Amino acid sequence: MNPISEQTAEQKLQQLLEKLDDALQQFEQAADFAKPGKLPRLLDTARRVLMLEEGHSAMEKLSQRLETAGIFAGTDWATPQILVPSLTTASLKSADANLVTIEALNELRLLSVALGDYNHPLISSEQAHHHLTQVIAINLAYLFTPPNEAERESQGRLARLPRYLFQHLAKRIGYEHIIDQLIDEIWRILRQRPIQVDAVKSMVTQIAICQQDPSIDLGVSGQGADRLVSSLYGTTQACREDPGTEVYQERLNAMDAKALQSEATGFARAMHDTGLVSPYHAVLVRHLLEVDDYLMSEALGLSSTGRDCFLCYRQLARAMIELAVHPQTAQAIYGLALLLERGILYQPPVAPALWRQLGLNLSPYAQQRLQIAYGQQVTPEARLMEGVVCILGLPLGVGQGNNPTCQSARALSMWAYNDPDYLLQMLTWAARDDEIIMHFEGQPISSRESAGGLAQELPLDLDPVSLLVVPHLDAIYVEMGRRCVGREGDPHRWVNPEFHGWWSGRGFQINVDVATGQLQELDAFLRSFYACYHPYYNGNQPLIHPQPAGIAITDSAARFIGWHAITLLRVALDPDEVMRVYFYNPNNDSGQNWGDGVVVSTSDKGERFGESSLPFAQFASRLYIFHHDPLEGGQTQAVSGEELDEVKGFIERSWGADRHPVDSPLQAAKN
Amino acid sequence: MNAKQEKGYIALLGWSLNAIEAAASFDRRYLVVAPEWAEEYCEKHQIPYLAWNFERLNDRSMEIAEKLKEMGVDVAIPLFEETVEWAGAINAVLLDNPRLLGQAMLMRDKSLMKRRAQLGGIRVGIFEEAHDREDVVRFLRRVNQTLLKLDGDPNDPIHFKAFDKAGCLGHRVIRTPDEVDGIPDEEFPALMESHLDGWEFAVEAWIHNGKIVFLNISEYVTLGYSVYVPASPELEAYRPQITQQIKKLIKTFDIEFGLIHPEYFVTSDGEMYFGEVAYRPPGFKVFELLEKVYGFNAYQATMLVFDPKATTEEVQKFFPKPVEDAKGYAGCFGVYPRRRVVSRLEIPEETEDHPYFDSHELTPPAQETVTKRTAFGTHWGLIYFAGPDAKTLHELLKRQEDLDFYI
Repeated sequence: MNPISEQTAEQKLQQLLEKLDDALQQFEQAADFAKPGKLPRLLDTARRVLMLEEGHSAMEKLSQRLETAGIFAGTDWATPQILVPSLTTASLKSADANLVTIEALNELRLLSVALGDYNHPLISSEQAHHHLTQVIAINLAYLFTPPNEAERESQGRLARLPRYLFQHLAKRIGYEHIIDQLIDEIWRILRQRPIQVDAVKSMVTQIAICQQDPSIDLGVSGQGADRLVSSLYGTTQACREDPGTEVYQERLNAMDAKALQSEATGFARAMHDTGLVSPYHAVLVRHLLEVDDYLMSEALGLSSTGRDCFLCYRQLARAMIELAVHPQTAQAIYGLALLLERGILYQPPVAPALWRQLGLNLSPYAQQRLQIAYGQQVTPEARLMEGVVCILGLPLGVGQGNNPTCQSARALSMWAYNDPDYLLQMLTWAARDDEIIMHFEGQPISSRESAGGLAQELPLDLDPVSLLVVPHLDAIYVEMGRRCVGREGDPHRWVNPEFHGWWSGRGFQINVDVATGQLQELDAFLRSFYACYHPYYNGNQPLIHPQPAGIAITDSAARFIGWHAITLLRVALDPDEVMRVYFYNPNNDSGQNWGDGVVVSTSDKGERFGESSLPFAQFASRLYIFHHDPLEGGQTQAVSGEELDEVKGFIERSWGADRHPVDSPLQAAKN
Repeated sequence: MNAKQEKGYIALLGWSLNAIEAAASFDRRYLVVAPEWAEEYCEKHQIPYLAWNFERLNDRSMEIAEKLKEMGVDVAIPLFEETVEWAGAINAVLLDNPRLLGQAMLMRDKSLMKRRAQLGGIRVGIFEEAHDREDVVRFLRRVNQTLLKLDGDPNDPIHFKAFDKAGCLGHRVIRTPDEVDGIPDEEFPALMESHLDGWEFAVEAWIHNGKIVFLNISEYVTLGYSVYVPASPELEAYRPQITQQIKKLIKTFDIEFGLIHPEYFVTSDGEMYFGEVAYRPPGFKVFELLEKVYGFNAYQATMLVFDPKATTEEVQKFFPKPVEDAKGYAGCFGVYPRRRVVSRLEIPEETEDHPYFDSHELTPPAQETVTKRTAFGTHWGLIYFAGPDAKTLHELLKRQEDLDFYI
């Protein structure tokens, strides 16, 4: 019945290419208004070509013709210079075949530009090459792994297409380029010290697989991979060849103190170097529980501060290790080490609160949520304890996942940073009682009675503490907003201090008119921000408490994307004597390009782990809401006109372009 | 493009991108008459445009006719069922022929159309008008009594067609009185017909100066699902009889020019029964199929035969020879989701891999739950096939009915 079985792949490709040529000709000849009508057929035929492995090189050759015909016209793909590599992941995973196809065609077009076959007016071959290596690095899993259940469910046979695409791209670009890029990418993310490192770990695993595969020639590249791969799979002498945890345990049993010491320092060095913890490290740490506290502090890589804290709270620390550290939850070791280094155990309520956490009975619902999210290899209690030590050790490592809950992630991070026992209290309510009650202007708000938050469904892609607490916070946050309906102005004025804590300033500044979306009183807003936060204008007063602030997020073309919640942490001179704002961004990857030269830095500019930073003026240009203490006025008039003009220039060229201030004299002059 | 002044100036009634595209690449001046929402688009793409809302004919219909006349328009072409009576009214003024309005009204009313055909000596099945559900039940019973069925025997179905809907829209097949309850109020009044077992087909005939200049037979594989052109050799064998039938139709309906799109049955004894006729381009993208096999643009063909300034030579030069000039066969299949809940579109592998498979215009599902199918004509999109053999194409189209495109 099926006449295709006799057809060779080559014949099939040939026939499809004829059909494609037909569709392309019709598309090329169509008048502009008729093109959209011809596009679906062209895209679908292109998709069929791309469903064949050999189809990708054929499509690569057609790149220029396709683009000239207008296949990208009217879309973001028409301006390849502003495309963001990280967005490819979502397009390629889409169930919409047209979106997958056009994204693949875009990559093939860039390939053709990168290899110098296509002289593109908007993007150089170097840029295209750079972009592609990033795209490949981010999507590297396509090279190694078969479709997972989610892809199969949403894409079916279409899931083949991106795999053929990346095989083709990797082959043409050369594996050596990808590996180096990938390693840089991993380091860049690791320098932000996220709590959740599963994605990074799987990328490191991919590199390890790639290194072992004799059919892949890495050339001289991939040298830097060893530090990453070994931090997970062969950190020390005794686990160099990745022997498995059982064998490693046997080796430990036979070791004397000197050998154990060497293992301990080996692991500690790798852990503090990368932020990644090897499962073998967990085996060692559990082993050391039975052996020696001194070696334990070596294995945690503690400084004198941390060691002192460890010894003061020896029993508590040991109990936390006992519960939380397993090969599957090895990151707990890193969290614990940093928790000890922060010295927060010396705050009176923190140690008892952790003891309560150690004995906490989780509600069946909380247990179930933890098991759905992380599996059943370790108990939900252990998983949660890992989360607790990690969030307390890495308060700025909290990410919001793929959820519209930046305020809740920000609150968690702020509490972990500034008020850890309050965080532990919230967690207890959420995990034990399935309910959090907060007060808004004296009235209690229960998370259980509130109608639901911004997130449509319960998130699963979060760290354990966020997983349990965020849904409650989200519901309460939205309810607080609801209670402000009808008030004049922006509800954050009242919600932020009540939601985050007493230290959020009751003074409130906003530079956008809520009703019209237009900029308002920009000068006064900026002067006030400088006077409150810039050390040159506020009497050189360092920021005391973290402050919630709102920013206008823009994309790499400086176009307005939306409003976003961040935390102001510090303002200080960087190593190059540039005054910078250091802040926390609940997005998972804070290294973002906001366009017009505003590129958020996450390392090398004096940032501590997890901090983002921008020069003061650039930061001020994206700010639209901040809080301050109204009793502490700075020198608003000392801020020079040039400084303000610089900020206003950045605003004008980005999100403020079409929000001209109503009270601007320019506007009045024009009228 | 090369619009020539000595050729006609044509108004297209209704919004069809394919028609506009055809007009834009043809050699006549044209004007799109469409509702206001099209204005911005037309301005942006420099499409000549006049705003008009096609509701029921009213006392303003003279206004649009006068307006077009002032602009020097020669003729108006209806693109959709809803604009047929408008074209009749406008052309009555433009061509100074009041009978054209009456003719158009006849084409818009399925019941009047049948009676007129009957008067002209054209064979039709048993039919009746229905104003409410009771009429339908009575007709169903009467038809089955006539067929000497006893109580409990399965009924022969009847066909139910809303008076003024195009093609398959509002066409239902009714077998039991229960099904009558499912007909919405707005589909009344309607025409009911007895069911004829036979071979159903449609014809597209272009008429110029009262003569057929091109006659295509479109063969249905399954009504409401699939059609292909030209018809199979078996059906094409009836072409002489079919041509006779069309000539009768032209005479009966007094058609001088334009495109007609009638439907017929051939029963097993070779007898032709008239179903209905429309004075507009057919649905189901038969125009695209014709272009695929013959290479001429059927919209342009229609503009040509409507244009009072077109010459006989020009018309003859335009059309190919039916069947003889066709490059193979082209057909299309209308996809209906078969499952109640669907999450995505996936063309079955055997369809996609078939060498006859050409393209599709299916879109991803907008909603997950599939509304229960009530009438013909609400397919989710078409898939196109083309190849050299009629039999293979026929079987392939039939086979598609058993496949899932939405899963």
